[in-house]
Amino acid sequence: MNEKERQKYLQDYKKAKEKGEQFFPDTLFKDAIMALAVFLILVALAYFIGAPLEDRANPADTNYTPRPEWYFLFLFQLLKYFPGKLEFLGVVVLPTIVIVLLLGLPLLDRSPKRHFMNRGWVTGILVVGVIGIVTLSVLSITEAPPPSEVAQGGDQIAALYTQNCASCHGPSIDIPASTNLHEIIAEGKHAGMPAWSADLTTDQIDALAGFILSPGGSKLFTDNCAECHDIEELVATNPIELKTALNRGPDYAAHADLDVPQWSETLTKAEQTALLNFLVAPDGQRLFTVNCTPCHGTSVAFSGERSELETIISQGGLHLSMPAWQESRDPAELDTLAAYVVDPKSTPEGADLFAKYCASCHADRVPAADSIEQAREIITTGGSHETMPIWGDILTDAQLTALVDYTLEAAQGTSLEVGQEYFSNNCAACHGEFGEGGPNPARVDDVIAPISTAEYLKTRDDATLRSIISQGQPNFGMSPFGSAFGGPLDDEKIDAIVAYIRSWEANPPVELPPAVDTSKVSLSGSEIYTNLCAQCHGLDGRGQVGPSLRDPKFRSENTPETIFDIINQGHATTAMIGWGEILTSQQIQDLVNYILEFEVDSPNATGQPTPTPGPVSFAKDVLPILKAKCNACHGSMGGWDGSTYQSVINSGQSGPAVIPGDLLKSLLAQKIQGTQQIGKMMPPSGMGSLTPTEIQKILDWIAASALDN
Amino acid sequence: MADKIFAWLDERLGLEGIYGAVLDRKVPKVNWWFTLGSASLFLFVMQGITGIFLTMYYVPDPTKAYDSIEYIMNGLAFGWLIRGVHHWGASLMVLVVFLHMLRTFFFGAYKFPRELTWLTGVLLLLLTLGMGFTGYLLPWNQRAYWATTVGTAIAGSVPFVGDFILKVLRGGPDLSALTLTRFFSAHIWMLPAALAGLIGVHMYLIIRLGISHIPKEDE
Repeated sequence: MNEKERQKYLQDYKKAKEKGEQFFPDTLFKDAIMALAVFLILVALAYFIGAPLEDRANPADTNYTPRPEWYFLFLFQLLKYFPGKLEFLGVVVLPTIVIVLLLGLPLLDRSPKRHFMNRGWVTGILVVGVIGIVTLSVLSITEAPPPSEVAQGGDQIAALYTQNCASCHGPSIDIPASTNLHEIIAEGKHAGMPAWSADLTTDQIDALAGFILSPGGSKLFTDNCAECHDIEELVATNPIELKTALNRGPDYAAHADLDVPQWSETLTKAEQTALLNFLVAPDGQRLFTVNCTPCHGTSVAFSGERSELETIISQGGLHLSMPAWQESRDPAELDTLAAYVVDPKSTPEGADLFAKYCASCHADRVPAADSIEQAREIITTGGSHETMPIWGDILTDAQLTALVDYTLEAAQGTSLEVGQEYFSNNCAACHGEFGEGGPNPARVDDVIAPISTAEYLKTRDDATLRSIISQGQPNFGMSPFGSAFGGPLDDEKIDAIVAYIRSWEANPPVELPPAVDTSKVSLSGSEIYTNLCAQCHGLDGRGQVGPSLRDPKFRSENTPETIFDIINQGHATTAMIGWGEILTSQQIQDLVNYILEFEVDSPNATGQPTPTPGPVSFAKDVLPILKAKCNACHGSMGGWDGSTYQSVINSGQSGPAVIPGDLLKSLLAQKIQGTQQIGKMMPPSGMGSLTPTEIQKILDWIAASALDN
Repeated sequence: MADKIFAWLDERLGLEGIYGAVLDRKVPKVNWWFTLGSASLFLFVMQGITGIFLTMYYVPDPTKAYDSIEYIMNGLAFGWLIRGVHHWGASLMVLVVFLHMLRTFFFGAYKFPRELTWLTGVLLLLLTLGMGFTGYLLPWNQRAYWATTVGTAIAGSVPFVGDFILKVLRGGPDLSALTLTRFFSAHIWMLPAALAGLIGVHMYLIIRLGISHIPKEDE
């Protein structure tokens, strides 16, 4: 706008004014009428609708669905289109741009044209903006159906979704592939999303994740399965069973007497996939827990390519050896089995044999073979056949991708959830669930300072944390936790805990030391025992990591004075730290008295593992341990076999597992102690590990010439 | 007698001058859309009056806020009316201010010489939204609590400074009594003071420059 145009405008305006009206009273009169109208509208609204009061604020109720005031709904709706890290685009960038544009409008649009038709661009942008705001507001209102509408179909999970998710997320959510939905739901990920783990059970969260990823599957479930099955029961089921049940319909054992259709015919392939995706949500962590943990523990060491892992999982691996059945079965049985494998219907009598010899590894799944010859060949010679299920046949593509992603991630290092679990089991009793600390159970007027503050974490590197955990801090009453120092945790577990502690650094859960009422700390003998000693010796004194205090041998060898000395000075060769600097002599004396009150086990005490006097028996002592702890994977699956005396000694690919009397050379002894040269320590972490007593029994048995007694 | 009093006052207050400058002036002939500005002002005044009444009984404390509102609604003569008008006035004010902005835009009234009027107007719109946001928490009901939790958490997602903003808004990492007093103070002192000041500037500019005329098709 140049000077001439300005002058022209001022002239035009002057003319318009001359033709115009008097501000007072003409214009003001109109304004007054408008004000009156506004006033009447307000009073009418206040009278007829009123201002709602609603319920009192309840910070504990995370089920409440927050809704902003209507004029912020468009922003709220906008947020839904910027998930996760993009959120700041919708929250900050976009509104800032709009505000800056609005403020700068007179500078941006400097043309002398005033009629909106002569300012096409500017008018267009504003119209689009206004339509956008109105549309977003309307969408936000319509996208959240009231709970009753959807829940009517009897679809519980849909109802769960409607109650908890729909108000923010609308009728469905687009999830990028391989999102760990379970974690997001459980912990609440982005700003404003609550953590649902307090309100929903794990199975509900899984069902919800399944619903979000596969809404169609939920409906199929309601139509086909819900009459008999509870969803929460099925989401926790082994997917092999689910797939088998779906494939076999009425032929599936558990469905035998029921009026069940042949789903493989009544449902399309896509529907079957949707149903499976719903039942076992493509959530890698969950899939890993259900499918892989029974053999692999908490994670698998894998450093290869993604595609390689995909192949291994989808095709099944060459993991353990199938025994050569020709050595143990007669040819007629082998023929029957081979025929059954190729065509189960043609040889019904094969089913029994299959159940007897094969099902423990192959479960209900009959391995595929092209011809009877081929099947017979495989069965008779055994060897490296897949014992890991061909997951490619069982899992849907989405599930497989999620599983591969998780496995790769977990192979990078144990996942934080695992570390959290270890922390919770081992450390939280003194340090609190979030490392917030608390009253020191050992000392009056002393608090355990928080270990999750930024200050603490910044001043300790991983190596320091690791050594603190593994060696303990005897001066402060923390026992060593590392297995190398007699504690319960191996290095892998300690690393997991350190990783978990480290994860607080980004967002310290604790800012300041807690205000602790130390006066409540009672330090009687029994309190001290419960707080400190029970960690290792068990609440009932029967021993866990540490030895049993009820053991007659312990009691006969130690006088009250020696027990006092052990507590006072510690035990040089075990994890027992000296408590003399922490406890007063009086407290130690109280403790000794408390310990002496434990009833001594009679030598034949049953139930609890007390060292059996005399030589260890293979049949009575060792075999039950192997059966309980090893044979889930080993058993008759080939490789080393822990089911009979002969096989315990001789089977396996690396020569005899047991060399009688030689603890150093016996592979079995090495593997259970973690001193092996070959392979991993057994059992793998995450499986039911052996207790020290159990390990000792096996070692004693090997040391005593490994007799078949 | 009345003339004498008027003359006495005029001599001291300059009433004639004010009358000449503010009321006795010609303005272009305009339509009803041009009443939205004065309607916004009227709503601001209404909000101010009802708000002042509400502060006589409202207690900005998490344990008492809800009860005090309950008392205003049920125990106080015409309390329901005052709060009802304040409640709906807030919604209506946002709506009217927004429409007022659209009117200004479509009639090209933000152009020379009224650029500053527009600028203060945009700021007034933002302050009005701020009033809505801070006032929403005060009843301390479920809706208020959770909407503010989410609203402040959204502000907390700003990269780098989000955490700081969140703590400033909430007076700590969580929604607490501090948040309530903070919002209360913003709602009855800071924002209204800013609004009133800006409205003063806005109106001075309007009176000085006159309201714009409706542009013809060739303008």
